[in-house]
Amino acid sequence: MSVPVKIIMIEDDEGHARLIERNIRRAGVNNDIVPFSNGTDAVKFLFDKPNGGGSQEGEALLILLDLNLPDMTGIDILKRVKEDAKLKCAPVVVLTTTEDAQEIKRCYDLGCNVYITKPVNYESFANAIRQLGLFFSVIQVPPTQS
Amino acid sequence: MVGALALRRLGSSQIIILSLGVAVLIAISAASLYFVVQARDDSEAVIHTIEVENQISTLLLEIRRAESATRAYLLSSGPQFLQEYEVAAKNILPAMDKLARLTADNPTQVASAAELRKAVEMRLAEFGQGIARIKNNDVATSIDILRNGRASNAVEAIGKISGSMRAEEARLFALRNTSADRSQQMVAIVTTTGSGIVIALAGFSLMQVRRASRARDVAERKLLENNANLEITVDERTADLREANDEIQRFAYIVSHDLRSPLVNIMGFTSELEELRGDIFRRIASKTAIASDGERQIEPVNEEPALEGEDKKLSDEFTEALGFIKSSIGRMDRLISAILNLTREGRREFRPVHIDLNELLQGIVSSVAHQAAEANATIRIEALPDITSDRLAIEQIFSNLIDNALKYLKSGTDGDILIRGRRKPGFVVIEVIDNGRGIDPKDHQRIFDLFRRAGTQEKPGQGIGLAHVRALVRRLGGTIGVTSELDQGSTFMVTLPLDWTIATKGQAA
Repeated sequence: MSVPVKIIMIEDDEGHARLIERNIRRAGVNNDIVPFSNGTDAVKFLFDKPNGGGSQEGEALLILLDLNLPDMTGIDILKRVKEDAKLKCAPVVVLTTTEDAQEIKRCYDLGCNVYITKPVNYESFANAIRQLGLFFSVIQVPPTQS
Repeated sequence: MVGALALRRLGSSQIIILSLGVAVLIAISAASLYFVVQARDDSEAVIHTIEVENQISTLLLEIRRAESATRAYLLSSGPQFLQEYEVAAKNILPAMDKLARLTADNPTQVASAAELRKAVEMRLAEFGQGIARIKNNDVATSIDILRNGRASNAVEAIGKISGSMRAEEARLFALRNTSADRSQQMVAIVTTTGSGIVIALAGFSLMQVRRASRARDVAERKLLENNANLEITVDERTADLREANDEIQRFAYIVSHDLRSPLVNIMGFTSELEELRGDIFRRIASKTAIASDGERQIEPVNEEPALEGEDKKLSDEFTEALGFIKSSIGRMDRLISAILNLTREGRREFRPVHIDLNELLQGIVSSVAHQAAEANATIRIEALPDITSDRLAIEQIFSNLIDNALKYLKSGTDGDILIRGRRKPGFVVIEVIDNGRGIDPKDHQRIFDLFRRAGTQEKPGQGIGLAHVRALVRRLGGTIGVTSELDQGSTFMVTLPLDWTIATKGQAA
């Protein structure tokens, strides 16, 4: 039996978080969204017991990650997630305003699954989010403990 | 500076010393020559005096011989004595003549010689008389004359005159000797003095030369120091500039990056507002419809609600306001993207490779073939030289220029774009020539500035292309210029170094 995927959203800009949430919902994705507005809290949730990724047995996670966080860079979080034995299977979607090709390549090298540049154009933004929703529904996110 | 002046002053004083030395040497030579000639004259005069004295002696000797021969003849009547007398008497007058000739240069001696001649002739006559008396056997008279010891006037005169002549010659001899001595002395003095002066000048000159060389050494050291300082200063300034440039790049990058973040919100929530507006006015429309018709009408979602009067006006105003916000955001986003791209370009490392410009430009031209066909334009490429530079940068430069040429053609005229190139020592010059609408000369600088455009603004654009091109050309160590008149087409001239090597990279980066 597949467990519903929990979306972990790490985004410091409240406006962006709200927009992302709305558009995810609008795209027809009704999974739980757990928002974090800074890296420290997110890291604590992901890696520390009792909330740590390792302890959340049977739960499937999908991580939406902003690279520009006030207290750390999203790259560090991405690295830690991909190095974690249990979390490394969780898909990571990097959402950022940077279009720098080198940064994009670096994220993919570190194991990010999708890299989405936050466009200001609302239409393409909504499209990207909808595709993300499609992506959620199509792939079977394996439970973290498997 | 001071050293150079001192050197120049020393140089001119060197010339003066040299000239002085030469003058002194010439004077010494002239004086020596003069005195040597004089000494020779003096010696000749001395010799002459001795000759004269000799001649007087010879004359007197001949007279004595004649006299003794006469006396011997008187005593012995030996014919050999008569013969001896005749020989002597024959020699007397020529000797006298020679003496007169020798003393012809001295008036005193000439007078004396004339008197002497008279006396000698008189004496000869006396001899003649004595010989005649012997031949006539009148020896007694002759003996008588001798016994009386009556010396004739002639003998006395001869003795006196010859004595005075000798005295005169002795005086002259002394005089000439003194003169010769003085000449020699003068030569010695002049030579010594001149040599002294020359040696002194040489010494002075040597001193000057040493001082000059010391001054030159000091100047050279200072120059080296200055050069080293200059290099250090240049390096420092370059480093400062590079740092400032990097700082600006970072600043532009961060600013544009961070500006995008709020812009995402503005745009996103504007779109949300747009959605809300749809919902609100649909509800207003349905309420109005219910109120007027008394029956509920179902508005299809996503369709413009049917509004009337005040409501329609409100809706239109809402739409207009949102439209302005959205277009402004779009514009701001494009500008920020442009700045981001420019700073990214500015930070990209250049990799110089050998480029066949013909091939590269042919590639660009074929990529814009569609636009060219649409604009009725032909693009011609003349033979271009090869270059060693960054391929991507070169591609961007000429893509931009060709795009511009195609974009700003004159309506109603077939476009004609010519790309040609030539070599210049160390550089390659490439021209992109079009017959388009041209650029007003007052805008020639402006078009290269970021976000600035010129002419009619009916084409889309942010005013970035040429700014980007200029930044690239400058980073490649080249220059770009434009010559154009309104309606006369434009020529963009790009001058790039033939070989953008690693060495120039250090300066350009």
